Amino acid sequence: MSLERRPEERVLDRLILEVREQSSPDLDWQRVEARLLSEPKPQRSSATPSLASRWRLPAAGLLAAAAIAGAVIAQRSKQELRVPVPVARISSEPLNGDRLPLGAHVTAGDRPVVVAHAGRARWTLEPHASAVVADSGELLTLRLESGALSAQVVPNPQPETFAVEVGGTRVAVHGTAFRVERTADRVLVSVSEGTVAVEPKGTRAPAFLLRRDSRGSFALDGRTGSVEGNASAVVNDGQAQSHREVASRLPSGAPQQVVHGTDRSGGAPTPVRSPAPPKPQLPLQPSISEIETGVSSALELMNGCFHDKTRSSGIRVSASTGLTLSITGDGAVRSVTFAPPLAPAVEDCAVNGLRNLTFAHSVEGVTFTRVFELSR
Amino acid sequence: MVATAQIGPLPWAGSRQDGPVAAKLDAVTDLSELLERCKAGDGLAFREVFRNHRSDVARLVQRMTGRAASVDLEDLVQEVFLQVYRSIKDFRGQSRFSTWLYRVTVNVVLMHRRAARSRPVLQEAKDDSFGADARDLLDDQVARARRVAAFYRLLDRLSDKKRAVFVLHELEGLSPSEVAQVVSAPVLTVRTRLFYARRELLAMLRDEPALEFVARELRLKESGEPLAEREST
Repeated sequence: MSLERRPEERVLDRLILEVREQSSPDLDWQRVEARLLSEPKPQRSSATPSLASRWRLPAAGLLAAAAIAGAVIAQRSKQELRVPVPVARISSEPLNGDRLPLGAHVTAGDRPVVVAHAGRARWTLEPHASAVVADSGELLTLRLESGALSAQVVPNPQPETFAVEVGGTRVAVHGTAFRVERTADRVLVSVSEGTVAVEPKGTRAPAFLLRRDSRGSFALDGRTGSVEGNASAVVNDGQAQSHREVASRLPSGAPQQVVHGTDRSGGAPTPVRSPAPPKPQLPLQPSISEIETGVSSALELMNGCFHDKTRSSGIRVSASTGLTLSITGDGAVRSVTFAPPLAPAVEDCAVNGLRNLTFAHSVEGVTFTRVFELSR
Repeated sequence: MVATAQIGPLPWAGSRQDGPVAAKLDAVTDLSELLERCKAGDGLAFREVFRNHRSDVARLVQRMTGRAASVDLEDLVQEVFLQVYRSIKDFRGQSRFSTWLYRVTVNVVLMHRRAARSRPVLQEAKDDSFGADARDLLDDQVARARRVAAFYRLLDRLSDKKRAVFVLHELEGLSPSEVAQVVSAPVLTVRTRLFYARRELLAMLRDEPALEFVARELRLKESGEPLAEREST
């Protein structure tokens, strides 16, 4: 055997030698150094006038980097003390949401930022969006300042464990997957799982109820909006009118437009008509963050199957596989492929679970591949 | 591609290594003193650390990724020094600074590779620049470049853990115990990974038809026969 392998050994040793003899790569060191040690810029310097120590000044620079690549800025009491939270710029690892202090300001750069609250929720801030952690207690509340975020909330018997505030609108959820986007003057909400309540901030009624596969466009004050799909307008007596009931009083075809408000006589808020906004157009394909949200669910599901369907026997078991998911335009999973295949029991479990995942709607759907490393 | 960002403005930005400053830096030869100054926020010291170690970091990043000099490589090197900047205060001198720097570098590269794996898989155009027929070889340098490229393609097929220990030991020349410190694994584990890494590479050499030319070139070179004549016979 050794005689057969000897030529390869010699070749390998020779290759190693040749690589070792190679000189270090000749990079543009001036450029690297300039980027690393950039000149101070007045607007950045003035952003943190209260930071006095020598190591807090670099924080201002790191803040700029964080704004580009995704960073978290802590806000303490009334004074916004901006310090960089270590963020793996080139990692897709989610941030630990449980470590974010109240008032933490999360800003996504060119890439989405994923924040996970163990056992509670996982939300993805889309590129160039920003949000503030407004409440980090039992009720997790985010204030979306710009852009869009999508979230998956673990079902909880407590009502409304997760909420997103956009201007004067409050979007509260139970256990669901949904997306909220803030435009210049609207709040766009789409729901892929569960139920979401949209209501004016500070009041718990009236509200719009959006269920799975529905979407809505609302004013920033949360009082007016139009809904599509399996949605309801709820009046303040607590009874929900089904969307079809509301629709029966409105011209068919157009998205339903509802205004909640109290009439001058002080009566109950009632749905009334207002001009219909243009119908939101489906994107050609789901956005990266929407795909990543689904990927996160897929990973959790596969880890669960791997854990449940493999025997540990006291040793660490790991597997690596490439998952190819084909998603239809209506967000359903068309096909699931593992390469290399997993153990039959694990794969059956994963396929069954993955087929129940729902992705965002789009015109074409999408097919993508991710490599997962599973271990237990 | 790795996202790029400036970390500045840093407190030392704007200062130049000219005149008295340069003279002062020249006097600083003790690494530990340099690191202490760095921890204290001395920008000039950090820049000196960067300049003293950037080539080593770039070489290791290149060997870990198999990439030629490129903007991507620069981004990774920059990321390494960003991490150094962020965590230099955690370096307590319990290991050599170079070992600690190796660890930071390896971690950055592995993070980058993991992130790349979680992104959509794009079919890269096959690089034929080093895959042409051996008869196309014009000189020894080109042949060597092809061999090195082929070797990096082999390395890329190893798992992250095996590739890391192989690069650190076989290419960077670290002892198994030093490698163990870098990758935070027992020495025995490092030796095991080295064994299997080498065995897998040998199997790849044997089974990969695209790499047959590497062995052929080396055999011909060792026999002293001109490559072109041998190919034509």
